[in-house]
Amino acid sequence: MMDNIYRVFVDATQKVFNLMLNISEISDHPAENFKSDDVIDVAVSIDGDLYGKVIYRFPVSTSLNMVNIMSGMEFQTVDSFVTSAISEIANIISGNVLTALSDRDMQCNILPPVLYKSDNNHEENLEYELQTSLCINATIGEICLDISLNRVS
Amino acid sequence: MLWKDRYKLGVPRIDEQHKELFRRVGLFLQVLRSAVCWDEKLQQLNEMLEFMKGYVVEHFHDEEEYQLSINYPGYEIHKQIHSDMVNYVQDVSRQFEQSDDNEELMQQFGGRLLAWLINHVAAEDQRIADYVRKKGMSGNDG
Repeated sequence: MMDNIYRVFVDATQKVFNLMLNISEISDHPAENFKSDDVIDVAVSIDGDLYGKVIYRFPVSTSLNMVNIMSGMEFQTVDSFVTSAISEIANIISGNVLTALSDRDMQCNILPPVLYKSDNNHEENLEYELQTSLCINATIGEICLDISLNRVS
Repeated sequence: MLWKDRYKLGVPRIDEQHKELFRRVGLFLQVLRSAVCWDEKLQQLNEMLEFMKGYVVEHFHDEEEYQLSINYPGYEIHKQIHSDMVNYVQDVSRQFEQSDDNEELMQQFGGRLLAWLINHVAAEDQRIADYVRKKGMSGNDG
């Protein structure tokens, strides 16, 4: 099951990169304790047959590259425009994940993306049946995903 | 230039509208991101936003009519996506007015609009083209 979930997220990210950024070549690898201070973290909550959350971790350089490609303009710093565009990309990847899960007879919904600040005192201690972290590399840089999901019993 | 030829559906009327929409959004983003002070570009942004509100509704209507004419099976879902976007644009426009022209709100709108538009045309709308091809129709049918 975890392998399937991992693959669904990688495939959804690849599809979005291909369609939106014209990037077809990506590679992926499991990630343990991805740490970087210079990231935009976007959380998307999932509800339904699977529930929990996914945190998309976009390094600033990757984020700026993505927005530069989409806009054809030169963004050099992160501001509300950039975080909003990146949040929408997280939303779009999640939407593709839902479609793939639906094809596997799992019906889920997502909540709108929110900029995420980790809360070590509470959320990090929750236990999830399906928990994995992965990183995806492309010419524009890396993005990492922390996936924490439970199945409805 | 936001528009890419790979976004073409092969339906001339819709492709022309998409090009125009991308052109207008591109102009809007150029003004939004220009170094000119906020107060100076505000009137121009408001005029552009008003135009886009009207043009988006007109384009979505034409695209939905085309989908109906070819019996596109994803019509209802696609129409809902259009409706959600129109509501979002109207909400932002209202909030913008009520917030006394808050710049951050408009920057957020610009970022989301950019990503949404590219995905919608490059992914969602391409499903219409895939259906047309699968059915052996031409883009001039319907």
